[in-house]
Amino acid sequence: MESSEQCVSASGIPIKDIYTPEDVKDIDYDRELGMPGEPPFTRGPYSTMYRGRAWTIRRLSGFNTPEDTNKLYREEYALGQTGFSVAPDITTTVGMDCDDPRIAAEVGHAGVPLSSLQDMDTAFDGLPIDKVSTYLADRFGGVLTAMYFAMAEKRGIDLKEVRGTTANDMLAWCCLNLQNQLPPPASLRYAVDLIEWCCEVAPKWYPVSHDSYNARDNGVTAIQELGMLFATAIQYIEEGKRRGRVPLDRFVRRVSFNTAVHNDFFEEIAKLRAARRIWYKIIKERYGIEDPKCQLWRVHVQSSGSTHTFQEPLNNVIRIAYQVLAGALGGAQSIHANGYDEAICLPTDQSMLLSIRTGQIVQSETNVTNTIDPLGGSYYIESLTNELERQTWDYIQKIEDMGGMAKAIESGWIHRELREAIIEHENKLASGETEIIGVNKFRLDEVPYEVPLFRPNPQQSVDIQIKKLKKLKKERDNAKVQAALKRLEEVTLSGENVMPAVFEAVKAYATMGEITEVQTRINGVWRFPMGI
Amino acid sequence: MDKDKRKIRILVAKPGTDSHYKGAELLCRILRDAGMEVIYTGRYQTSEMIVNTAIAEDVDVVALSSLAWSQEKYYTEVANMLKERDSDILVVGGGIIQESAKPTLLKAGVTGLYGPGTPHDVITNHITERVKKERWHED
Repeated sequence: MESSEQCVSASGIPIKDIYTPEDVKDIDYDRELGMPGEPPFTRGPYSTMYRGRAWTIRRLSGFNTPEDTNKLYREEYALGQTGFSVAPDITTTVGMDCDDPRIAAEVGHAGVPLSSLQDMDTAFDGLPIDKVSTYLADRFGGVLTAMYFAMAEKRGIDLKEVRGTTANDMLAWCCLNLQNQLPPPASLRYAVDLIEWCCEVAPKWYPVSHDSYNARDNGVTAIQELGMLFATAIQYIEEGKRRGRVPLDRFVRRVSFNTAVHNDFFEEIAKLRAARRIWYKIIKERYGIEDPKCQLWRVHVQSSGSTHTFQEPLNNVIRIAYQVLAGALGGAQSIHANGYDEAICLPTDQSMLLSIRTGQIVQSETNVTNTIDPLGGSYYIESLTNELERQTWDYIQKIEDMGGMAKAIESGWIHRELREAIIEHENKLASGETEIIGVNKFRLDEVPYEVPLFRPNPQQSVDIQIKKLKKLKKERDNAKVQAALKRLEEVTLSGENVMPAVFEAVKAYATMGEITEVQTRINGVWRFPMGI
Repeated sequence: MDKDKRKIRILVAKPGTDSHYKGAELLCRILRDAGMEVIYTGRYQTSEMIVNTAIAEDVDVVALSSLAWSQEKYYTEVANMLKERDSDILVVGGGIIQESAKPTLLKAGVTGLYGPGTPHDVITNHITERVKKERWHED
């Protein structure tokens, strides 16, 4: 039956030309698949899935200034987007203020600058944050989350009712080698501080979304992606367990995940299904937590930016639609369709609209939401799900054998994995083993068409933001700011949870840069390994 | 030095806070594999840092990489600062560069301006030709 040509999935799993009942004969339905909403959740985390609630259509967005971003969020809401997703600019992402001499050219370039509570107020002005949920790509010790909560509190919203997610996978971000990065142990500490604090003050908030998107965009496989993702999640739980400040079942109940959806259509669907079963086993078998709410693997997926090409950008419309469909067939809770112009610029109005419409078309016109886990039971999908699970466990074990994810990062091993993936991908592109239409296959000599480009005006954003920041620093109660920062320093040194102090500092209008200065001064900035 | 064995010394640098490093680090490999001596600054460099390193390392070429649209500022700044310091080190650039920025960059002497997917030999040939002509004054 095997064809002579060897086929492998994107993760290198050998693929047969046909799958039969023989390939799934060992599957025990109840034990390994079960009903959606029931252990091991392979078929979906909820019993009704998209019949009960369609996936959230959410775009990661933000640009120029908080004012412009507010306008953008209002437009997105009017278009029927059901959640906001805050992309901070690079300045904010690396924990700096817009007047930092190291960054002046890129304020508001690839996200919204949020230097203080004032900026957060502006960005969400007039938006119904009591009705929708918000995702914060908060990278630096929960500062943006504290700003968001302070903004909600000012508007009279009970924090117990606030819904949303903080990215907060600071350990995973140690692999991104961004500027001003805290060392892995400090990153883990602040991330877990935020989880503990949210368990207390905002029980409906997801205080961490373990994030493998960036690792995947580096070129690693679906297996490495899941392996790193779960090894990181385990590291967090171990830290929570070690501290023992919050009961473990409460700690894991609000953990969520964020992965890529890549090109290998069936493998990506199988990946999401395998991930649910793996998480269930981690929680139930490794930690002995019986509460089903803790065993649910809930995921936001995003189309893989690294698959979107600079050449013939309209081709990306097709790639993104397939990736969104894979997310839907895999049972994701929230899906972000990238702009087709991702490889060129920030999205234009046109590509932003198309991105929201992509999800809506799949939801409303294709009928794929009619039944749950429509590919469940496919000989091929079930075999692939099993194989992905098996190889992911091996990869998790490899990291565990090194002493866990923090150690694997500190030793440089993860960086080497990521670097090797980049080189391998490039080599496969050069050799033609990996084919990308319009890039190394059917490449055109002439650029066939132009697409509209988004043109940011970074200098304008810098000027506006610096002016606002100066005014703020003059008008706020600076004695209060200093006291709050002093308190932050004390708790940072004492090992207490820093979040109450961060919250107070934010409410006193201490800036992002002032707060992270305390954190980097005490913890140092990480000299990450090159991995070459 | 034996002319045939003379190696091009090149500084690969990433100005600004753009964090996209894949292109720059791949470029390091490509240039190394083409027989050049490659020095990599890593990310988050100011123009001044890049110029100081280039002069201290006595390189033939600085290759700038950025995917953020701030090339116009940084690339021209690096080229101009080198000129101000009487250096004849060449400057080439790549990344996702707006068409509208290219005339300014070329005028400042920043050439290449290659985007994603450029065949490796196009890049290495361009650098080699410029170095031979403008630095080594070969025919």
